[in-house]
Amino acid sequence: MTRARNRELLALIPVAMLLTAGFAAVFAQENSKLGNLSLTYGAYFFAVCLATHIYLRIRLPNADPYLFPLMALLTAFGLVMIYRIDESLARDQANWFVFGLILFALTIQFLRDYEVLERYRYIIATVGILLLLAPRLPGIGEQVNGAYLGVKLGPISFQPAEFAKIAIVIFLASYLRENREVLIVGARRVLGVTLPPIKHFGPMLVVWGATMLLLVFIRDLGSSLMFFAAFLALLYVATGRFSFVVIGMALFLVGAWFIVTTVPHVHDRVEVWLHPYRDPTESGYQILQSIFAQADGGLFGKGFGQGMISIPGHPNSALLPAAETDTIYSLVVNELGLFGACGLIATYLLITARGFKVALLANDGFSKLLATGLTAVFAIQAFVIIGGVTRVIPLTGVTLPFVSYGGSSIVANFVLLALLLLISNRARREAEEGATSSERPEPLGALS
Amino acid sequence: MAYDPLSTALKFGFLAVLFLFLLVIARSAFRDLRRTAAPAPDATGFHAAVAGPEVQRGNDAWLIAERGGGLTRDERFDLIGGLSIGRSKDADVQIDDRYASSIHARLFTREGRHWVEDMNSTNGTTLNGAALNGEAELVDGDTIQIGDTVFRFEAS
Repeated sequence: MTRARNRELLALIPVAMLLTAGFAAVFAQENSKLGNLSLTYGAYFFAVCLATHIYLRIRLPNADPYLFPLMALLTAFGLVMIYRIDESLARDQANWFVFGLILFALTIQFLRDYEVLERYRYIIATVGILLLLAPRLPGIGEQVNGAYLGVKLGPISFQPAEFAKIAIVIFLASYLRENREVLIVGARRVLGVTLPPIKHFGPMLVVWGATMLLLVFIRDLGSSLMFFAAFLALLYVATGRFSFVVIGMALFLVGAWFIVTTVPHVHDRVEVWLHPYRDPTESGYQILQSIFAQADGGLFGKGFGQGMISIPGHPNSALLPAAETDTIYSLVVNELGLFGACGLIATYLLITARGFKVALLANDGFSKLLATGLTAVFAIQAFVIIGGVTRVIPLTGVTLPFVSYGGSSIVANFVLLALLLLISNRARREAEEGATSSERPEPLGALS
Repeated sequence: MAYDPLSTALKFGFLAVLFLFLLVIARSAFRDLRRTAAPAPDATGFHAAVAGPEVQRGNDAWLIAERGGGLTRDERFDLIGGLSIGRSKDADVQIDDRYASSIHARLFTREGRHWVEDMNSTNGTTLNGAALNGEAELVDGDTIQIGDTVFRFEAS
């Protein structure tokens, strides 16, 4: 169906316009004059998106039309904001964007039959766990603000958790597809709560234990929460038992509480979250400045390039620490106000809605669970960091998908998008064939 | 720099285009929701066929549980009078399968031959590994899969 692709093309036009307008506003602010440069950047951006669109038209003609434009919109948000902070960072980010799209295309090229992932699930799970533990390995591990999230291999440093999340979701989707039956069938009711059978309680305890170990090892509450919540989302979709989610959440809270009271770094993070004013110039500085910046934005914000991220004349004095990564959301709120923030969050919500739609349309268990898991982990990641900078939950070093500065984040999320589009392409094609061939009585041959 | 009309115009322009864009996509999402909610199982056709006069005339035929659905393996269901399969309590063969619709598929006998029909289910029915469109005739040894539940068809 080319109608889907036409809608995608139409949707990319406003995205490119938004990028151009954003750049124009930043230029107008910085140079007090408006050159052609913003139009040039807008044209580059549109050309890259157009190339991707043409590739999708050939390879995945039936895939969901809005997922790619929505993610391109997030990238545009990120590019404008990062450019406004630092020109050279924005150039890096633009390169990562293009590199991410190349990997996106390669994923679509080589994983057309994504069921093969199910066959290699234990290898994928092992790779995922190794990736998560890599930052603790001596020599390549890197500690940032007390959390072990980065890996440095020579000149390249990356955040393996971004890639690990995809691997873990693939494994969980495949595992739960096979075992969800036993989880439901043996369930019994105790005091009005459906409990999973004792012997199948195992997987949940294993994942819970792994999450807790992860919390101890990499000391990052955000990533642990992200992985465990994605697991619960998958478990809920696989079994339809809400009680499993409640039990899981309770387990997580108990475990996290225990670790918070024993592991010093995690304890500090939670203390800062609960009492930021105890040390407003040191440990509480980032979260307090982040909240002040958001409040300062008002309804419509101060305008592009007009928020203050450092004291004028002192480029190293950070008024908004880590503005290009952790607190980029606060900068968006500062410069575009409550309305800009709502727009950004609405974009994440719409992506989530499209992702769950893909899961609804998919015809087999693995596709359904994989689409759900990928969407859930993406949405929860956005929640963890936005929740962090708004002081809903402790602030952690998770990136805002597609917006934050960082190569790993952009590249990994484009791989995630590629998988979603692959699932969507198959599901929508089958739905269409089902609709047009319903008059014919003979069953179709095996769809591949 | 206190008040820059160009920056302000660009800011509001940005916000306006952003919200229009999101609105259009949200509207399409709502349309999708309505569309997926619309098709309901064809209940009338189902009841008419079961109560029809020719149902008693078939040979002996059984639907046998192979795996899944909360059924015990090799549980046998006689096809006489037709069988409906689904998650609902009203289904003749009630299966516990997340991907099954309430009345997912039915088996019936017409002029001495046995048929399986997908009742417009959400996730479809598979007959011998291929997607089932509408109805198809069953022969001895066929496998029918609904979600993760697998049945074998046996006729003598």
